[in-house]
Amino acid sequence: MILCLMIAFVWAYSHLGLRGEDLHPSSGGLKVLGEFAARALTPALTSEADFVPEGTRPLLYIALSSARTTLFFAAAGMSLGLFLGIVLGFFSSTSWWAGDFGGVRRSSPSRILGRVLFPVLYGGSRVIINLMRSTHEVLWAVLFLTAFGLSNTAAVLAIAIPYGGTLAKIFSEMVDETTREPAHALRGAGASGLQTYSFALVPQALPDMIGYSFYRFECALRSSAILGFFGFPTLGLFIRQSFSSLNYGEVWTFLYVLLGMVLIFDWWSGAVRRRLAP
Amino acid sequence: MKGTSLELDGVSVQYGNTTALEAVSLSISAGERVGLVGPSGSGKTTLLRLLNGSVLPDQGDVHVSGSPLYTLSRTDLRRVRASIGFVYQDHRLVPNLQVSQNVIAGQLGRVSLLKSLRMMLFPSRVMVEKAHEILCRVGIGEKLFERTDHLSGGQQQRVAIARALFQEPQVLLADEPVSSVDPARAKDAVELLTRISREENLTLVMSLHNLDLAREYCERLIGLRRGRIVFDEPTSSIQESHFSELYRIGEGEMLADGA
Ligand SMILES: Nc1ncnc2c1ncn2[C@@H]1O[C@H](COP(=O)(O)OP(=O)(O)OP(=O)(O)O)[C@@H](O)[C@H]1O
Ligand SMILES: [Mg+2]
Repeated sequence: MILCLMIAFVWAYSHLGLRGEDLHPSSGGLKVLGEFAARALTPALTSEADFVPEGTRPLLYIALSSARTTLFFAAAGMSLGLFLGIVLGFFSSTSWWAGDFGGVRRSSPSRILGRVLFPVLYGGSRVIINLMRSTHEVLWAVLFLTAFGLSNTAAVLAIAIPYGGTLAKIFSEMVDETTREPAHALRGAGASGLQTYSFALVPQALPDMIGYSFYRFECALRSSAILGFFGFPTLGLFIRQSFSSLNYGEVWTFLYVLLGMVLIFDWWSGAVRRRLAP
Repeated sequence: MKGTSLELDGVSVQYGNTTALEAVSLSISAGERVGLVGPSGSGKTTLLRLLNGSVLPDQGDVHVSGSPLYTLSRTDLRRVRASIGFVYQDHRLVPNLQVSQNVIAGQLGRVSLLKSLRMMLFPSRVMVEKAHEILCRVGIGEKLFERTDHLSGGQQQRVAIARALFQEPQVLLADEPVSSVDPARAKDAVELLTRISREENLTLVMSLHNLDLAREYCERLIGLRRGRIVFDEPTSSIQESHFSELYRIGEGEMLADGA
């Protein structure tokens, strides 16, 4: 296993011809980097543009309102993603139907249900979630932009689809990794598959599922900010604009706002996780 | 009708190369209290699990109240299972739910998904009072709202019994209901199960390692050895020799067990 990884690494390394010298930057580039870094401690509080048109909102207002848009896109994408993750996660976990003997000795619909329908649903949902996951949100954004133009729906879908796939995969794994004995016990007392899933399997996985969802929300905030590069009015849009007008102080302001949001979420998810701990 | 009959008809169960049960036939009538005894690995757990349809026999049939368990449709199987309470050796409670939720989960087999959501998340006062009453009956009424995994092994076992009772079963199956508690409580647990089954006229089948308890509380004893029935008789006609036969160490068995 480790050997395989090492071989893969060496192969990729030589194939790409990675060499330290490649990193030697142009002196101009270094200068930009230096100027940019120099502003880290002095982010702009007001616009740094040479010409500010009449009626332009103040910089801090733009920063906060684009932070709000970033949050909204992330929240909308994430809630749709959660919905997809929960539904697909149910179908792509096996623990609620595997090993049940309902109607095994019949040649009837109930046998077909257990032996054919559930495995097919399982396989189908795994294919779907892998298709959703295997494409990065940025590529989904490009796709939806082409299809729908610069609409909010495009941005939300671009987040929701890959996130939904990832959540479904992780949720189903978390559920399938919990101990199955309590589920079997409820099954033995007549509970249905969906009931054992909801009340024996999910409760055990729930603290992990919640913790992971918070983490993905953090990721969604960053993805949402990045979507600004395509023109959505999130932090990314203003970061790009300020960067290209060389107003590095403004860039830092936006970055700090993003960092602040992520930190708040991190703190919140920590608090929730501590409450759920045994 | 209270109480339900149970029947095994030439049942064999195979786990890979191990034969857990071989051509076992027995019939238990409604309201009987039966003890299963036998050395470790003799097939007691397997036999109990057959009775609520959680092990698929390789041969033979299992009948509960006359219905062949493994030919029932899913819905019918659910209905039959809902009438069978099982107290597991390892409790099988959901560790991070409240005691009340684990008890109430006993009734899942009787309700629709929507109703079960309400029942598990926002149980009605009546439900909670009923759960509390049953917990009082098994002696841990004060633990109603505790997290289940904060309870001791013996207390969790009582929760498991309470869950089975909340099910309002016709049959109670108990697998080693004494293994996780001290000797005094062991007797309590067996006493409790017997008393309840007598009061409510439930069929009771329990596996017991403790032969004295088995003799004291069961009216009929079934001895298992290497997956076969060695004896099946009313307790009154059981002799010491029955037990010594059951636990006799056969040729090569020491080696086989040690392997
Ligand atoms: N899930 C399983 N997979 C493989 N073998 C099993 C499984 N369950 C039971 N067995 C085997 O079947 C035989 C009977 O097991 P069973 O659990 O029914 O015995 P038991 O009488 O309940 O033993 P104990 O008194 O130790 O609980 C044993 O040899 C055991 O190893
Ligand atoms: Mg056992």
